[in-house]
Amino acid sequence: MIEALLQALINGVIAGTILAVPALGFTAIFAVLNYPNFAIGALATVGAYAGWVGNTVFGLPMLGALPLAFGVAGLAGLAVQSLAVKPLEASGALMMAIASLAAGLVLENILRFGFGNDLRGFELPLLRDWRIGEFRIGPQQLENFGLALACMALLWAFLRFSRTGRAMRAVADNRDLALLRGVDPVRVALVTVIVGAGLAGMGGMLVGLDTSVDPLTGTRLVLSIFAAAVLGGLGSIPGAVAGAIAIGMAEELSVIVFNPAYRLVVGFVVILIVLTLRPAGLFGTRAS
Amino acid sequence: MTALTVQELTGGYAAADHVVKGVSFTVASGELVCVIGPNGAGKSTVLKLLTGLLRPRAGQVALDGRDITGQSPRVVIEAGMVLVPQERNVFGTLSVEENLAMGCFLDPGRAKARMTAVMDRFPLLAERRRQAARTMSGGQRQILAMGQALMSEPRVLLLDEPTAGLSPKAATDLFALVRATAETGVAVLMVEQNALQAMQISDRALVLVDGRNAHEGPAPALARDPAIRRLFLGGRGEGRMDATGTNRETSP
Ligand SMILES: Nc1ncnc2c1ncn2[C@@H]1O[C@H](COP(=O)(O)OP(=O)(O)OP(=O)(O)O)[C@@H](O)[C@H]1O
Ligand SMILES: [Mg+2]
Repeated sequence: MIEALLQALINGVIAGTILAVPALGFTAIFAVLNYPNFAIGALATVGAYAGWVGNTVFGLPMLGALPLAFGVAGLAGLAVQSLAVKPLEASGALMMAIASLAAGLVLENILRFGFGNDLRGFELPLLRDWRIGEFRIGPQQLENFGLALACMALLWAFLRFSRTGRAMRAVADNRDLALLRGVDPVRVALVTVIVGAGLAGMGGMLVGLDTSVDPLTGTRLVLSIFAAAVLGGLGSIPGAVAGAIAIGMAEELSVIVFNPAYRLVVGFVVILIVLTLRPAGLFGTRAS
Repeated sequence: MTALTVQELTGGYAAADHVVKGVSFTVASGELVCVIGPNGAGKSTVLKLLTGLLRPRAGQVALDGRDITGQSPRVVIEAGMVLVPQERNVFGTLSVEENLAMGCFLDPGRAKARMTAVMDRFPLLAERRRQAARTMSGGQRQILAMGQALMSEPRVLLLDEPTAGLSPKAATDLFALVRATAETGVAVLMVEQNALQAMQISDRALVLVDGRNAHEGPAPALARDPAIRRLFLGGRGEGRMDATGTNRETSP
């Protein structure tokens, strides 16, 4: 029993770290543009297909396919933003959220039209799991974990050291003051959408690597992504990472106790509890 | 030499468009001018109209003789005028160093040299360079806000209630810094609630009531004027003002 628990925790940390990548994209868009972008799931799917095409059609290694996933999903995110969300900007965050949800459905069905409903797998060498005592870890699982950490490190460096990254944090923190210091909020919003959607795309590809790619690969993640961001505090970067790892572990642990079909319930329950007890989340500074 | 000239400035918000109804004044290089007036008189709105946060409906704003009426914040900064707003005037989640860098956002090539200069001037900021701004005290935050504004080496510095919420000691220290900044040749326009103390350190004072100039003159003289004292300063000269311009302590 205790072994099963530890194994679930290991799996949970790895799954949570991968989940953190799209959760960071979601929370970044929320922080700068002040609305929850529910197209994030479909954008993750776009990235998964882009990475899959790069890998199976162009023979790219994972390190080459990942930037492709970022770029294609980033452009798709830009399209969602300018075609669906932006025209409704004046109507408030709820309308923008609904527009993104609708745009996500459109994207999902474009993918379904183009690629069909079949499950697609990456071309990966078949490797046997490593055993450490009682525990099993797949080499591919570990590689995905490493790639997720690399995505996060890049994001951190971008936010911390680049002028544009700092402007993004400034706008998220205090939009009016950023304006007074000469930041162009429209440009910052566009960069944020590309980076946020790109992160979702990379996350989708990493999940696709772990399982397979189909038109719902990303959509299945939306609830977990939203729960991770809410738990960490909407708009908080460290919060999204901590929230995602917590959600990843909770989901893996729930499978030990309940029927795996109930896995989705974890996200719902977490959202419900957080919104009831501490709406600002663990790291959040503002109540949403 | 006159740095900032404002003539018949008029404007307001989408929801309330008649807030500032014709305000005129000038500020010369090296001069410290304070603006006082009751809550809601339109003092902060004037500063927003000057810096491109709001677009004036009428009137003129000129900086060193150049017309910048209704220009974007970017153009206003590049022309040499910068505002420290009334509230939330630092980036709380950014470090002191990053806050200063944001003050030089449009001219990143100069950021390093200017940061050294600002930190020399305010050693407190050098000591706390890696600290997040939100963890600093109110007085320290005001100094950071001023340091951030000075990062663009402005010719005109606009301050909106820099001593709001500070202890008397911190307020006095901050006033000294404001005075010293004016002495370096910067034209400073300072909105203040702490009217008596502000007038004591200012060269001139401008009294705004209901979106218009009400009184104007050399600050020491205005501070002694019994009419002004009765209207705006109250018994001991430290009272705050209500919307009619009378002091709460002395009105029936
Ligand atoms: N964002 C806004 N939208 C609409 N009306 C506003 C807005 N901000 C201020 N006002 C109104 O404009 C008027 C002047 O406000 P302003 O903030 O300029 O006053 P103030 O002189 O700075 O007062 P205080 O001393 O309280 O800071 C007030 O009646 C206020 O209600
Ligand atoms: Mg004000």
